[in-house]
Order: sequence, then structure tokens, then C-alpha cells
Amino acid sequence: MSYSLNEIEALAKRAARGGGLSWGISEEAAKAVRWLTSHGLPGGEALAGLLIQNDGIATDQTAPCALDGEWRASGGALCPLSSGSAINDCAERLATGTDISMRDVSYPLLVVPFAAWAALHITAHVGVSWGGLRVVTDGNGLSISDPDDALLVTKAPQLSCAQVTTATGALSQPLSRGEVSPGAWATLNDFAQRTYAPATEASRRLGAGAGASDND
Amino acid sequence: MDVALNPASDIPQRDPATVMRLARLGSFHQSRLSFMRILTRRMKREGWTFSRPVFEIDAKGVGHAVYCAHTPDRTYSLVAFAHDLPAEKRSDRVIAEAWDSTFTMFDGVPTAADIERLRANIPLQEAGRVTESELSVSRANRSVRLWDYMVSCLAEGQQPDPAEVAKVGYLMRTTAVYGSGKLGAADREVIAARPECAAPFQIEMLSVFLTRTYVRDLMQHMANLKGGERAVTLAPETARSMGIGNSTGLGMAPFIVNHPMLFNNWISAREEAIARVRNLAAASATDVTLFKGLLVRSAHSAAQWRSEHPIQIEKLQELRQDMAALSAHVEQAELQSDRPWNRLYQWAASNLGVDAQECLASLMLEPYGDLVDDLADTMAHTQTNTFRINGAMSVSRLIGILDDAYGWALDVDWDAKEHCARAWYVSAEKLEPRLGERFEEPIAPYEQPLAPGRDAAALRAALADWAPDDAIAAFLLAHPEHRHTVRRAQVVARAPYAEIRDNTIGSDLLPIDMLRCKLSFFGATHFDPRSDRWVRICMFGNAPYPEDLQSRDADFWPYPNGTVAAS
Repeated sequence: MSYSLNEIEALAKRAARGGGLSWGISEEAAKAVRWLTSHGLPGGEALAGLLIQNDGIATDQTAPCALDGEWRASGGALCPLSSGSAINDCAERLATGTDISMRDVSYPLLVVPFAAWAALHITAHVGVSWGGLRVVTDGNGLSISDPDDALLVTKAPQLSCAQVTTATGALSQPLSRGEVSPGAWATLNDFAQRTYAPATEASRRLGAGAGASDND
Repeated sequence: MDVALNPASDIPQRDPATVMRLARLGSFHQSRLSFMRILTRRMKREGWTFSRPVFEIDAKGVGHAVYCAHTPDRTYSLVAFAHDLPAEKRSDRVIAEAWDSTFTMFDGVPTAADIERLRANIPLQEAGRVTESELSVSRANRSVRLWDYMVSCLAEGQQPDPAEVAKVGYLMRTTAVYGSGKLGAADREVIAARPECAAPFQIEMLSVFLTRTYVRDLMQHMANLKGGERAVTLAPETARSMGIGNSTGLGMAPFIVNHPMLFNNWISAREEAIARVRNLAAASATDVTLFKGLLVRSAHSAAQWRSEHPIQIEKLQELRQDMAALSAHVEQAELQSDRPWNRLYQWAASNLGVDAQECLASLMLEPYGDLVDDLADTMAHTQTNTFRINGAMSVSRLIGILDDAYGWALDVDWDAKEHCARAWYVSAEKLEPRLGERFEEPIAPYEQPLAPGRDAAALRAALADWAPDDAIAAFLLAHPEHRHTVRRAQVVARAPYAEIRDNTIGSDLLPIDMLRCKLSFFGATHFDPRSDRWVRICMFGNAPYPEDLQSRDADFWPYPNGTVAAS
């Protein structure tokens, strides 16, 4: 179904929060899903899959242990959102020609928007590679070499992120709408539901604070 | 207009620590930079034309109408659906499911197929679905007593008593105007590059402007059907006095916290305008005369402003007294030389309450459209690079920002009940933002991040364990729970008016302060709180209708009673 990008971002933020991520990471997860869907990529599906996979797992188990050497998680696969946020936080490293490499990354597609924002910051092209595939972005546009199943894998054993200095050809530009499958949308809604307080008679009456009657 | 800028323009914008307190934000008044006025000035300047290609409404008041606004480049069409609403279903709450009228702003001119698609969706509001062709979705309910009274009067050949009309001020009030991608509509980014959409909320304001015309026409239509040959047409002066009401609940309060950069840009534009005028070395006799005339009209508007809410009654009493004191001072003060507006502002800051101070701050801008109106184009949020966290920032730099922008919050005991008595949450029912009592309701697990002061204090405490030269990236890896607040702090470091510098969860919080601040930027007047978290206002009261935009003053209309020459 076609959604406005704001709708997608709003639901993704609530879903990420409902999945146990911090508000700050949730905000970035939402922008990441927005960015991917604006490029016709299944960002909503990736977030839905990630939230299901990591449901109930403490976020410090899936965040990078440290930002030196090859990044890895302490307990299992790296969360692409906390790893992606860290890439963006360390964007200057890419500008100096230092590559960032990671081991065992869940839903690697979700790393790409963070690399895009890093690219905008250092005003350069940045490439993200995993499973024989490379995605290059200048922040706004995107090109994918040999898009195949690797794009949608649930885990990449290795992922690297680096500034790209060679010619990359034309980049596809973002669209003004996004598509999310009904199944993924329902999953995101389920996670978002966890952030809503169940209504009580008291909250109905008091919480919004309206007057008694509007027939005046 | 000659503007004599003092070459040593050294009066800076007002200190955010003064401006961003809730008591002051909750006393803001509309100004030249309000979104309604930005729109009416543009419509007149660009010579927009208007048409009503469809008006098919039956004797029960059911049907639809289309109102088109033609800019030099394109057409926007308000599609209105009129309904026969039983009284028991009339509610201004967001949880309502039926309304007297429902609307959408269509990008272009709708075809018959578009109308049928919209007829199946717009009357449902949140339960319906729209497309990228639609720019907003809204609804309105009648003021029942005034509607019935006016229809009866006109049907019987009588003009309604203007005093009765003034008691309410509008025939319908909108209860939500959704834009920016809500319900599937076009995102703001789709229209942001259009010059008429450069300032915030211009489509929503246009929607309300056209809704006002539709409501006048619908009421007249019903009176004509009821009265037949006896019916008379509403006197233009009475029609002009009427605006569109708006009933705003809590949902709007989180907006200004959730959009810190946008909020900064609104406040910053007005503060820059105030600073420019305060820096003027001299004022011409013409400027002073215009100011004095509008001051009289502003006092008249304050006299007409009604509310039954105890807090607002008290505020109004003080405002009226202060306006009288200001008027008396202005009569004897020298206002043409020696930075007259700065002297006047400083006198007000020492002698008047914040409500009158803010009224004056807005009024002082009126003679100086040439000097300040360009700031309208700085009020949208176009700085897309402000979302990214600068992970290379040092811990010591972040501490400096926190101490400066959140200093008020760092010494507050955030565990004390009175300082954290409230929590903002979203209800499962209709996803409505609400404010609850943290210690009386089971809402804390659902709390929204709408207490920047408390969160900044927690961040400041967490940073104490880190070395001054450590990079924020490393801190955030260990403490992702502070990521949201680090982003806010980095925003406020470059946008000093981004943050409310007051407690938004304390037991003494008045959410209506947040609502009034936002609504004043829309251009609302006559704020009428119905509780501490619910307010009714009037929009476009006394504004020209589309057909008299060119022949009447399209700038000073928020100040009723009499006319002044258009600038």
C-alpha cells in the first residue's frame, strides 16, 4: 500500500520504541525506514523483521562493544540501528579514508541510510558492502550493484562501510511516497501498540481535558 | 517607507532565558509574522482569484461544495461535505466520529471521479484514506445556538444582532486540520518548494480561510431555503466580524516540543523583528500615528475578548488594565526620536505584565512591514542537517551547552513529586496525546519524551563520569538512552529558541500556555480556555472574504473596529 513518508516515519518511530529501543535510536530508525522506502526499498519490512528477531533481547547485547577495530556485538548479531547510528556519529573517520567494518550484522539494509547521512556530512560518496553487493550513496541518491537476494538478507557475516572515490554512475533519486507490505505494516503496528497506554475511564475523561458539552 | 537603521544596531534579540518561559510563551499575541497574515498579504499582493464551481446542498443541509483559490501558478480547491449531524454526535474531541462538515484541500481542480472518491473518505476523517492529491483533511462543528439564531433571523427577514454574534464570533469551529502526510495526504516536502508554501501551515490557513466563506454561504443558503422570499442577506459588516472557531486540545502541545528547530524558527523570526524595530533610531509621524491607531483597536479587541475560565479572566483583567496604562503612557511619551520603540519596550518591561509586554512587542512591528515581513520566509524548517548528531563533539562542550541552555533545570529536584507529577502519554484509543498524573495512573511506562529539562539534567549527571575530551560518540554507545537529549542539546546550541525553558511535567503546568503560543503564531485571537488543557480560539475574524481581498485592507484586519489605510 502507498503511504506518505511521514506516515511511515511516524509508525516506524513508535514501532522501534515499542520494540525496546531508546527514543533517540527510534527517531533514527524511523528516518532510516523513511529514507529506504523513498528509494523503493523494503525498509518497513526490514524493521519489522529486526524487531521480531530482537524482541526481548537487551539492546546492549546487540550494540557494538567498542568502536575500534572490527565492530561486533557482545551477544549475537549486531543491531543495524545502533551500528548505523555509531557510523554516523563517527562519520569523520570515513572522511580520513578509514573503513568501518563489522561482523555479523542483522538486516544490513538498515545500515545504508546511516551511511547516507555520513556521506552528506563529509560531502562524499559512501559505499556499504556485504555479501558481494555494494550500495553507493551521496546522501540523497543511491545506486546498487547487482541487486539480488543479498539486499534482503537477514544477516551479513561481514559488512564494510567506506568512502568511495571512483566513479559510480548515475544515482537514483528519492520518491515522494513509500510502499510497505500489509504484513510488515501490521507487525509495525503491533510493536507501536506497546507504546500506547490502555485507555481508562479516568483518562478518557480527564486526560484530554475537554469541556463537558460541545453543543453550545 | 524610510527606515532609519541605527548603524550601531547593538540591541540584541531578547534572551531565550526570558522569552522561553511558559508564562511568557502563554501570553504571546499574533503579529505581522502570523501565518494567517502572511497568507492574506500574499493573496492580495499576487492578486489571487476565487471561484465556487460547485454548491449542491439540499434542504436538509446535506451535499457538497467546491471553493477554488487561483494563484498566479496553480489552483487549490477546498472540497466541503455538508452533513446533517444529530446533536448527540457533536463532539469537538478527536475521538468524535461524525461532524457537521468535513473538508479536504485538493491540489488542483478535482474531477467528478475525485469528488466521488473523496465523498467515500473525507466524511470518515481518520477512518478514511486520501492520496497525494490531497494536502489537508479537516472538519468543523456548528456553534449550535448562534447557527440556529442566525438562520432564524435571516429567514424571517431580520438582521441578527451584532452583539449576539460577537458573543461567539463564529458559526463553526474546526476541531482538527490535518496536513503533512496525515491519513495518506501529500507530505510537506511535496509542496515545500512552492513560494506560497514557504511559510509554515499556509495550506492549512488557506483551508480555514475558504472554510469561513463556505460556512457563511451555507448558513445563508439554509436561511434562504427556510425563509423563501422573506429571507434577507446577512449584512456584510456582520459577516466580516465573524471568523472560524477552532477547538484545540492537548494534541497540539507536544508539537512545539517535538519540532524544536521549527519552533525556534518561529520564535527567532519574531524576536529578530522585535530587535530590528527596537534598533530604529527614529520613527516618522506616520508610523507613530499608525501605531497609536492600532493600539486603540487592540485595546478594543481586548475589551471584546470573553472567557469563563478563571485563569483567563484574571489574565484579561490585567491585560486590560495594562493596555489602559500603555495607552496613557503613549499619549504623553515622545515616540519619534532616540530609539523610541526601544524606550517604549523598556518602559513596558518595567511597568506592565507579560501579556501586555507581548502585545506591545507584536504591535510595534505593525508600521514596519518593509523591515520585518521578509522574515516570514525564515520560519519553515529547512535546515535538514540538524537531525544528525555530531559524535565528534567533546563531553566538555556538551556540558557547556547544557549548563547554558538548561541551567534552569539542573538544580531542580526531579524526584520531588511536584516537579514530575505529570506524564505525557499516547492513548491506545484514537492515539490521542494525553497528560496524566504519574503517581495516580499507570502511565509512566508509556511516557513520551516531552520533558527536556528533566532529561537534560539526567544527561548532565551521566556526563560527570566521563573525561572532558571524550567524544560524544563513545558516550552514546554506552548510553543510547541519552541519544534523544543529546540531539536536542545540539539543536539548541545553534537554535537558542528551540527549547521551552520551563518544566513541562510539573504539577503546576498549564498546557494552555503551550497551546496559546502555537496558536498565536497561526494568528489566533481571543483565546478562550475551556480547561487547563483545552482552548477555543477565533481565526480570520474581521478578515476580508475572498471577494473583498482587493478592495479592503488585507493586512491590519486582526485589529477590529474602523479602518486604516492599507500599507
